[in-house]
Amino acid sequence: MIKFIIKGLLRDKHRSRLPLIVVAIGVMLTVLMTTWITGVLGDSINLNAKLSTGHVKVITKAYRESMDQIPVDLSLTGTKALITELKKDYPSASWVERIQFGGLLDLPDENGETKSQGPFAGIAVDLFNPSSGEAERLNLNRILVNGRLPSASGEILVSHSFAEKLGISINDRVTFIGTTMYGGMTIVNFTVAGTIRYGITALDRGSVIMDISDARNALEMEDACNEILGFTDVEYYDDSKASELMESFNDSYASDNDQFAPVMIRLRDQNDLGGLIDMMSGVVGIVSFVFILVLSVVLWNAGLIGGLRRYGEVGLRLAMGEEKGHIYRSMIAESLAIGTAGSVIGIALGLSLSYLLQQKGLDFSSAMQNATMLMPGVFRTRITPEAWYIGFIPGIIATVLGTMLAGIGIYKRQTARLFKELQS
Amino acid sequence: MLAFKLAIKNLIGAGLRTWLNVFVLSLALVMIVFQSGIIHGWDVQARIDTTEWAIGGGEYWHDNYDPYDPLTLDDGHGLLPPELSGLYNDGQAAPVLVTQASVYPEGRMRNIILKGIDPDQKIIKLPSSQMAGDTSVINALIGTRMANATKLNKDDLVAVRWRDENGTFDATEIRIAGIFRTNVPEIDNNQIWIPLDRLRKITGLEDNATYVILKQGITSIPTVPGWIFKDRDSLLSDIESIIKAKSIGGIVMYIILLSLALLAVFDTQVLSIFRREKEIGTYIALGMTRWQVVRLFTVEGAMHSVLSIFAAAIWGTPLLFLVAKYGFAMPKATEGYGLTIAEKIFPVYALGTIIVMTLIILITTTIVSFIPSRKIAGMNPTEALRGKVQ
Amino acid sequence: MKNTIIYFIITSIVSPLFSQPSGKEILNLIDKNLAAGTRIMTAKMIISGARGSRTIEFKTWAEGEERAFTEYTNPPREKGTKMLKLEDKLWIFSPSTDRIIQITGQMLRQSVMGSDLSYEDMMEDPDLTSHYNASVIASDTVQGRDCWVLQLNAAGEGEAYEVRKIWVDRERFVPLREELFGKSGKLLKRTQLSEVTRIQGRWYPMKIVFKDMLKAGDGTQFIIETLRLDDPVPENIFSKASLK
Repeated sequence: MIKFIIKGLLRDKHRSRLPLIVVAIGVMLTVLMTTWITGVLGDSINLNAKLSTGHVKVITKAYRESMDQIPVDLSLTGTKALITELKKDYPSASWVERIQFGGLLDLPDENGETKSQGPFAGIAVDLFNPSSGEAERLNLNRILVNGRLPSASGEILVSHSFAEKLGISINDRVTFIGTTMYGGMTIVNFTVAGTIRYGITALDRGSVIMDISDARNALEMEDACNEILGFTDVEYYDDSKASELMESFNDSYASDNDQFAPVMIRLRDQNDLGGLIDMMSGVVGIVSFVFILVLSVVLWNAGLIGGLRRYGEVGLRLAMGEEKGHIYRSMIAESLAIGTAGSVIGIALGLSLSYLLQQKGLDFSSAMQNATMLMPGVFRTRITPEAWYIGFIPGIIATVLGTMLAGIGIYKRQTARLFKELQS
Repeated sequence: MLAFKLAIKNLIGAGLRTWLNVFVLSLALVMIVFQSGIIHGWDVQARIDTTEWAIGGGEYWHDNYDPYDPLTLDDGHGLLPPELSGLYNDGQAAPVLVTQASVYPEGRMRNIILKGIDPDQKIIKLPSSQMAGDTSVINALIGTRMANATKLNKDDLVAVRWRDENGTFDATEIRIAGIFRTNVPEIDNNQIWIPLDRLRKITGLEDNATYVILKQGITSIPTVPGWIFKDRDSLLSDIESIIKAKSIGGIVMYIILLSLALLAVFDTQVLSIFRREKEIGTYIALGMTRWQVVRLFTVEGAMHSVLSIFAAAIWGTPLLFLVAKYGFAMPKATEGYGLTIAEKIFPVYALGTIIVMTLIILITTTIVSFIPSRKIAGMNPTEALRGKVQ
Repeated sequence: MKNTIIYFIITSIVSPLFSQPSGKEILNLIDKNLAAGTRIMTAKMIISGARGSRTIEFKTWAEGEERAFTEYTNPPREKGTKMLKLEDKLWIFSPSTDRIIQITGQMLRQSVMGSDLSYEDMMEDPDLTSHYNASVIASDTVQGRDCWVLQLNAAGEGEAYEVRKIWVDRERFVPLREELFGKSGKLLKRTQLSEVTRIQGRWYPMKIVFKDMLKAGDGTQFIIETLRLDDPVPENIFSKASLK
């Protein structure tokens, strides 16, 4: 029976082609929409994660109390061992060390005397080890305005308007003046390799990015850092995964009451992101619901249309003495086959397109004045587990439902009228 | 006219199928209007909040003042020039004096920005009147973000140390007279507000100001030597760029949503033409030209959008109105970056957007209806009459 | 640099007094005790911070109130860092960067090597007699020694502290405690001087503890290990050339 139906569908293009296309396109659009909205709404969360919060973050208890001041003197120590332990205990996540710090940048004149000076906020990340993925995480290639990325020790990136204000050009030697983890004064020379633009005025007005090894030397932080960022195996923030990780880690340090004992916090505990996450899942839910609703209606309609399209055929089959119930069932079976096939094709198309957009992104940067970190101008989809099955719901159910409604007509038709119809 | 009448009759005759299409199109229309309303509402609100709380009708900055560089604060103030003190005396402007200071909540030093503003000012929404009253202590005002960061509560006393004009240190306990909640982080993060005359007195900077906030709606902007006027737009540029990013993200959603709705119309059109060949043949036999028939079918398809616009108006208007009235809850997100986001956004539906979206739906539906109808033009009327085309 | 601070705090000389001298007289006596032509000392500073305390060792050459040169000797990180004070200017040299940086404006307010002292504190003009009006307000006992309590009120504008209270040993004319107040009368800093030792006929406190009273913590200790007074100091040491 199933074989027969499928053969019929394959041979009779009218019966299968258009409905299949409609289901496939509809499902594809729904999948795309779900991944798009998740991706776009998740953008600011992702940005926060990459720039400062991580999916989870390990800090000291003392640091947690005054985190907005980014105090280096309250840093974690013994981070090599700590990171090894984290990698061993939670191998699926990636762990990176960061140092956030502040200081003064001093540009000398030709006599080596201070020409200009300004305060900055610095982020030190693992730039030189490509496997750390930090350069990509900070989107450095894209936000680079002039010059190049640091490739050797002693090279730094300076935010563009900060460089302009101090009169810094690429390859200038500048001096960093700051305070080490132990409170000592530190004075270190750096070469400006490039300038960057975040698109956030507060950051653009004074920030510096350098390799963590340089910051460690400068800040007397060998085997120390003030933040260890953890990114769970997935690209986007997964609250339940992060919570699980946090609980497990904090349990293992629960008895350690030292003020420098490590403690893990989640992304949602920082920068007031908790609310955004809650809203996001709400909005994704609403939008997905609306889409499924719209698609259901569209496919229901398509089912109706498909049923009507085959009015003549049904009439003929009735005339040949086929039982009404049998025709009805076979039509539903057909729609089930079309719905399934269409959903599979649609999901496959939708996911491939989403995957493409997840990897490549949709580039709107030409529509925006300047591509920046906050607004990269590139929008990306994000494939969530739901995207794999969400299309089936309208794809199959609505198609079948539509056919069922359209098919009711079969029962209403009188054999006598059928012949009339067939004559014409 | 005939085409319209026929089209409507045919559509209504098609019953459920038509209404389903109409519903889908109207849903798309309402969703799009709603979403752009949210984004627009956010934009409007962010601008209004920032204007009302922080920047008024624009600001005059002392030449050396740079809010992002605390090093400039020592020199970034000057005597209030007569043009601006005139505005101040007329209640048209509020001068603000900014200095650096340190607070010591729980004995840990924290460098902050101390701002002085007239407690009687009515230029911005900052509840500065809470700083008036008991003058035996300095009454200070902080925002909720600062209160969280320093763990200070209302009526707490906290030591603040500053230096006067000549560099003399002084410190005193100030009283947190009030904690205000604002969507505008730039007047909250890491700063403490105290009465202007007190700040001027303790720093010895009599009659000085760092910047001057103008009242909203002031039109005469005098040129003041040594002071730079920053208009609202330049002060709002950060908000503008993020809103732009959000709008672009939204456009893709509109496109996908609209495509889905148009798919339904397309499907319906294909069927209509397939099913109604005899009808088409009849029209031609009755003397209509083929293109007239094409037009009829196109109009019929396009009528879906007209009906959907009515439908959207019927069920969408009250819904959109309700959201606009009660607001749409937003989280306090990305505050760390100093962006203004209200807790509740009241969508603002721009008439322009609604008209443009309606037109887009009309046009795209017409196009989608026309594409399958073109086939009619190639039909042989006699074949069509007999239903033998396909 | 450090040295100027010590200097102003220590400023004095002994001369026993029989009746209560005036504030100005006491200041002059302190000055007589402490003011030597030149001072060469090795000293260390013990700074307590969030991560425990650390010790910085240095050697200072000073002449009068206006000129001082300091070279840090330990820990290895700071070794070779030099500071030069000439009147109201302050330069710092860091060997690793080969740069001489003038400490001005904002930076003057930063703490020196994480201590409870700012560069500005070090830059302060130690000449109390010309900037403050002194009066004896009480007698007290500090570290078991009888003291006069002097109150100094700023004579004009521009002093870092409006009011100072100094507890001065009645016999040795060494200050044993100093408290610094703001205009509003708020206690800002407290300095305690102890281990008063006889050096080349003068009484010198060899240990000084600075404490920022608004901040929690133990403050900064300053300990003089060796001190030579009135030894010749080569003139070229007080020049920017000597920094490198």
